[in-house]
Amino acid sequence: MNDDRTQPILEAVDLHKTYRMGSVDVPVLRGSSISVSAGEWVAILGSSGSGKSTLLHLLGGLDTPDPGRGDIRFDGRPIAKLRRGDRNRYRNRDVGFVFQFYHLLPELTVLENTLLPGLVGSRIRADRDRARTLLGSFGLDHRLNHRPRELSGGERQRVAIARALLNRPRILLADEPTGNLDQETGREILELLKREHESGLTIVMVTHDRQIADLTDRTVVLNRGQVE
Amino acid sequence: MMGQPPTPSYDSRHVYHLLLTSRYLTSRIIPLLAIAAVALCVALVIVVVSVMTGFLDMVRDSGRTLMGDVVISYPINGIPWYEDLIKEIEALPDAQAAAPMVETIGVLRMPYPRGSAKEPKMVQIWGIDGERLAKVTTYEETLMWSNIPEQAKPYVELDRIYQPVIESLDRGQRIEILRISPWENTDSMNDSQVADLAGAITNPEWIEHIRYVLVNSPETFRGSLSSDQIVLMQAALAAEEDMPPLQDQVLRDGVTLARNGQPGIVAGIHVSDANRRDSEGDYQVGGGGHWWLPRYEGALTTIPVDASGGTLEPETEILPFVNEFSSGVYAVDEIRVMIPLEVAQRMMHLDQAEIVDEMDPTKVIGIEPARATMILVKGKDGVSETDLRSSVEKAYSSFLDSVATAHPNGPAPPVPGINPSLQILTWEQQNAGFIGPVEKERALMRTLFSIVYVVCAALVLAIFWAIVYEKTRDIGILRSIGASRPGIVWIFLLYGLVVGVIGALFGLALGWIITINVNGIHDLLAQPPGWLAWGLAALTAVVLIATIIKLFSGRILPVVLGIMGTGILGLFTALVFILDASGGVVIWDPAVYYFSEVPNTIDLPEALITMAGAVIFSLVGAAIPAARAADVDPVKALRYE
Ligand SMILES: Nc1ncnc2c1ncn2[C@@H]1O[C@H](COP(=O)(O)OP(=O)(O)OP(=O)(O)O)[C@@H](O)[C@H]1O
Ligand SMILES: [Mg+2]
Repeated sequence: MNDDRTQPILEAVDLHKTYRMGSVDVPVLRGSSISVSAGEWVAILGSSGSGKSTLLHLLGGLDTPDPGRGDIRFDGRPIAKLRRGDRNRYRNRDVGFVFQFYHLLPELTVLENTLLPGLVGSRIRADRDRARTLLGSFGLDHRLNHRPRELSGGERQRVAIARALLNRPRILLADEPTGNLDQETGREILELLKREHESGLTIVMVTHDRQIADLTDRTVVLNRGQVE
Repeated sequence: MMGQPPTPSYDSRHVYHLLLTSRYLTSRIIPLLAIAAVALCVALVIVVVSVMTGFLDMVRDSGRTLMGDVVISYPINGIPWYEDLIKEIEALPDAQAAAPMVETIGVLRMPYPRGSAKEPKMVQIWGIDGERLAKVTTYEETLMWSNIPEQAKPYVELDRIYQPVIESLDRGQRIEILRISPWENTDSMNDSQVADLAGAITNPEWIEHIRYVLVNSPETFRGSLSSDQIVLMQAALAAEEDMPPLQDQVLRDGVTLARNGQPGIVAGIHVSDANRRDSEGDYQVGGGGHWWLPRYEGALTTIPVDASGGTLEPETEILPFVNEFSSGVYAVDEIRVMIPLEVAQRMMHLDQAEIVDEMDPTKVIGIEPARATMILVKGKDGVSETDLRSSVEKAYSSFLDSVATAHPNGPAPPVPGINPSLQILTWEQQNAGFIGPVEKERALMRTLFSIVYVVCAALVLAIFWAIVYEKTRDIGILRSIGASRPGIVWIFLLYGLVVGVIGALFGLALGWIITINVNGIHDLLAQPPGWLAWGLAALTAVVLIATIIKLFSGRILPVVLGIMGTGILGLFTALVFILDASGGVVIWDPAVYYFSEVPNTIDLPEALITMAGAVIFSLVGAAIPAARAADVDPVKALRYE
């Protein structure tokens, strides 16, 4: 296990990301680099607008860095250069996303939302037992057939985490998972993440709260598009 | 181990599309709107096309039943030795029966109006043998009167009672009656003018004059009557008090084209302008039964043509009307009259005649055979018209051969190719003139209503556009957990497919229900029942009250919806009340469309094509929003709540 921790599972080098707003180029990331070892829990700390979400999206294969300016490797494989189908597969299998605003599908039940990555992935018969176990361990057994709107914020975020973990990703990318919750509920969510981390999950978590960052193994600070 | 080759749509065969489509359908109102739109479009097209097809079928059927399957025609001059030809045809294994007839045009003097100036009418004269025609066509079923209509019964009875009285009147008495009767203005006429008038007026008119004179000036009149006539008139007056039941012979007379052994006329129902169809499709005889045609006689005039094609002196026959027929085709019913074949042959000089020696008119040197201008042939069941036509053509050539040997010196029948007017046609070819326009009309309607598909596609597009807009975030979520772009496209295409299929099925059901009940719906519009108006009024009131209650709920949408609902329902209610008051609207006026019922059979093949069209256009409508969905940038979609 100790060997694994030193081995980077996800590594980003000299990432540049520029958004175009009309005729003006807005550089958001200017040469950010980050390396995450397997089993690590890394916090990315930064003020609002510093590019934390942008960095996370690049790491998760949702977006690509400016062409030729930066390299992201997952297990040594270059993510940004993947073919579309393989990038979809990467998002489906290798990483799990958790967002600040939960982002559950309102028409689906808790169980169906959790199963979704399984249904989208190659398995025709999604792993219902896995979904039930996850939801059960997050204290949601009695909510399986409820709609997201019938749940509290904390419960919704727990469903979102269960969904992210369904396909047993190697790494969880969480973008301010407690940002929309009160302190008490936020702490419960962090407890939950801590438990998952302790059972081996690699987590990259974005936050702008230093106290929350302090709960993690390591904190990197994003400032003006660069990791300090 | 071989790795599965990664494909861009590695997820497109999975079940989440179905899950999402079914959830999107069941948990939202907008897709129901799309389904309703598709269903309405499909129902509309199905109803229109079914009614048009039904209409076309009715026209074709009536065309066929009027003509038989195959028609041999040689107008004006006619085919000699036609009975031999019929024998030849009836011996065919394909043919069931054949009937001869002669056709010409003429002028019919109608019995109306009152007085001496009767209206003449251009008619097509069919000289037929009713019994034989009935074997080839549905002639017997087209006969209008199987009984004397109730309205006309008193008149027919009067006709019968006064018949002997009228016959007993001499010229002087007739003039005297017309001078006394106020019905005709005879003050300024001299006696011979009055006598002319007396010659023109019909028996039913005489009855009116006689009854007036009997009731109002019996004394002045009595002096000029013989004792026999007085007895007759007293008997007539007494008989009026106590009318015996009528003997109904009318249908039989229509088939035999004769009354009491006298040849008669069977006229198309619209030949007499006194006949009217009411909005129910029933015939109303003018004058409350007074103008029932079989009470009268008609004078039929035609111009015969000699063997060299020149015209001869006009021939006129005065024949009683014995019945009327209603074929189902207005163009036929307004112009055709049937008379017995022999009478028509006589009038057209197509009857059998002896050829006499020019030097010695008492010496018969040959026979000029009777001729028929048309032979109508009916095929056996299951024989196609075209097959029957070629058999008939063969029979015709063997008929030519047999005539050549049997009657070497008699007149020869027309020969195909040499006599271009000789035609052997199927009923469809013969009736192309009136089937064609209806077919074109149906094609036009179908084309016009196909625009509905475009509307359908546009509606689905607009609705799906809104759905995709609303679902942008969900699309981002799906992409973030690995859904491919083709996978996203497929969700919305599947959604469009399902909306199209469900809409088409509902449309079929709706179209079916409307088509089957189209006559009921039509009647409802023509005569809205009281419950409809009051029911609508009650519903309007309920919605209005609910709206007023919602005013206090603090929400605006229910109030707006309520006001709109009240408005629309109120409008409908008012409309129904207005319809009630004004006697309803008749869209399918049988007097115009001829058929008394709107065709109400569904055209299933057309319906299936319509449904397929709706599904395809739903997919077309869904394709553009689906493509837009695929282009959604997941990062932007996920950034904000
Ligand atoms: N599509 C875009 N076009 C233009 N500018 C963008 C776009 N997306 C993000 N930005 C800008 O990039 C910068 C970084 O955005 P990002 O969301 O990564 O910041 P963040 O650190 O996550 O902020 P927060 O803590 O508020 O979530 C912001 O200034 C934002 O306005
Ligand atoms: Mg952010």
